[in-house]
Amino acid sequence: MEKSKRVNNNEIIMTLLKGRTLIILAILVILFSVITKNFFTINTGLTVAKHVALYGIMGIGMTYVLITGGIDLSVGAVAGLAGMVAGGLINEGLVLPMFGVSLYFSAPMVFLITALVGIAFGWLNGAIITKLNVVPFIATLGTMNIARGLSNLRSGGATFSNIVGKEALGNMGFDALGKNLFGIPVGVVLLVVIAIIAGIILKYTSFGWHILAIGGNERAAKLSGIKVNRDKTLVYMFSGLCSSIVGMIAAAQLVASHPATGEGWEMNAISAAVLGGTSMAGGIGTAGGTIIGAFIIGVINDGMTMYGVSEFWQKVIKGIVVILAVVIDQFQRNLQAKMALQARNENK
Amino acid sequence: MKIKEKVLSVLLGMAMVATLLSGCGAKTEEAAPAAEVATEEAAPAEEAPAEEAAPAEEAAPAEEAAATDALPGGGSNIMYIITPSHSNPFFGTEATAAKAMAEGLGYEVKVLSHDDDATKQMEHFEAAIADKAAAIVCDNAGADATIEAVKKARDAGIPTFLIDREINEEGVAISQIVANNYQGAKAVAELWVEAMGEEGKYVELLGKESDTNAGVRSSAFHEVIDQYPDLEMVAQQSANWEQTEAFDKMGTILQSNPDIKGVICGNDTMAMGAQAAIEAAGLKDVQIIGVDGSDDVRDKIKEGKILSTALQQCATIARMAVQQADDYLKTGTTGLDEKQLVDCIAITKDNADKLNAFDYTE
Repeated sequence: MEKSKRVNNNEIIMTLLKGRTLIILAILVILFSVITKNFFTINTGLTVAKHVALYGIMGIGMTYVLITGGIDLSVGAVAGLAGMVAGGLINEGLVLPMFGVSLYFSAPMVFLITALVGIAFGWLNGAIITKLNVVPFIATLGTMNIARGLSNLRSGGATFSNIVGKEALGNMGFDALGKNLFGIPVGVVLLVVIAIIAGIILKYTSFGWHILAIGGNERAAKLSGIKVNRDKTLVYMFSGLCSSIVGMIAAAQLVASHPATGEGWEMNAISAAVLGGTSMAGGIGTAGGTIIGAFIIGVINDGMTMYGVSEFWQKVIKGIVVILAVVIDQFQRNLQAKMALQARNENK
Repeated sequence: MKIKEKVLSVLLGMAMVATLLSGCGAKTEEAAPAAEVATEEAAPAEEAPAEEAAPAEEAAPAEEAAATDALPGGGSNIMYIITPSHSNPFFGTEATAAKAMAEGLGYEVKVLSHDDDATKQMEHFEAAIADKAAAIVCDNAGADATIEAVKKARDAGIPTFLIDREINEEGVAISQIVANNYQGAKAVAELWVEAMGEEGKYVELLGKESDTNAGVRSSAFHEVIDQYPDLEMVAQQSANWEQTEAFDKMGTILQSNPDIKGVICGNDTMAMGAQAAIEAAGLKDVQIIGVDGSDDVRDKIKEGKILSTALQQCATIARMAVQQADDYLKTGTTGLDEKQLVDCIAITKDNADKLNAFDYTE
């Protein structure tokens, strides 16, 4: 009798723990609504969502990478490079000195080319990690610097300003990425689309199961016939794609691309994934969780901004929140293991 | 167990939806606090509450026939002050001065830092817009990358007052108040020429080459110095505004030029680095100048180890911006040009005592 009651308690705690990210988010929303005027409005909601779109999209790519047990430190720099590539293509075109011409592309083409640059960087990450056997942390640390260097080289450290294109060149419309679509920021629309696709792939396709398996136990996955190297490379390519999309949205929002864009954003992406329950050890993670994680960061950022918390305290608080999230995560896992053990003992 | 889990998650989901829905409901409640603000504000600013009560078009023309195009502010009494990271005391002083001034004028103040990240700056601007800020005072994160943020605030009826750094577009911000780097650099260069006795070998440490200020300061230095043929520049290198880099570069230069008599630096942090290198090399009577007016250099000036620096009066500039914001919100105009230059003060042994945290008091 007594025993079953304790099990019950455990079950309730467990359920609360599983919904913890949503609970934390709800508490934060309520907290900031109470203490900050103008926080609980549709406008603020959209503003937060728009900011979250950046970390969110990056975070989804990062989630895939973390699930395989890797890490991608190059995401922020790739986003910066993507902004510079897109901005350069619009303002200067693709200069071909050997033919003495500059090619200008339409906005959708610019989007595609830039996305391909992101994917190519992801492929480079994957190749260095799987073919040359460099650990992901170091490989992506290297490509992070390469991408940052290249984005500075593209313009000599300067900013591409007013990247709206020219009517005569037929390349108008890139800045639409930073505007609204039926009142909703385009970034948020992209976040939702990418999250849904990423979620479905992870849950319902063999590729999704494979990367979960790789993160769970790479050797076992390999032995059971999963093409580990190919799948890992694909995951980094996806992360590169996400980063380049983020870079383009950020550039479009500012209508300018600056080579330093995205410095430190990899930490936001990792935080979003971890807050959303992704394990740094691999094998565990969901796209939906990451979005909630990104929203927690976004609500904290904008809430503290609107409440007027000083920049130094903002950093301290963000740090504490991430650590707390991981601590609760571990607590949940321990509890889960304990309950499984109990259940097995009872069945005996 | 499974069922219980489902039930709870459904409950949680419902709670979320409920909070979302109450978000829509809160819109009507929103009116009440806004009205409160209006009455609170009645005392300090006569015109503002009228605009608050009717944020739409009616208020502005009725109150201010003279300035029909004037931006009314977002509706609240909050002034946003956005600067680069306060880990650099220059920006800390800027923010503190602006904050004190704005609070003195009866505003609620929110101080933020954009860390020189234009995207973060945009987020801050958007938060300010969502918060219905009355005005924004900003030391911006990029001459091009800031334009869109200022435009956005403008579209929301919020006037922006830029300090310390300009943007590459006019007619978007209400004021752009910056230090006159050219005049400042020339002023210290003249003192330096005199101290050098118009002759001798010298070294120049440049700032980050992509930064316009680096070029402006260097050309101002040379406009003065190049008139004297006996002053010979033996090395000119960029130390990227940084102290450690200046120390290293200076050390290397001293290896091949141990007989230098002077160093001109694009900013104070590099002057500190250069001074440390010269002291480490055991050289005496080397005349060093910088630009900025930091407390570190002020102390070295007092010790006689650095000759002079040009103080950019960031505290004064910040206070001017807040004052102009207040004038603008109350009368619809600052009565001044958008671009304004504020002269630098040459800091020497004689007036070093009056300088504290980039703030010069007579």
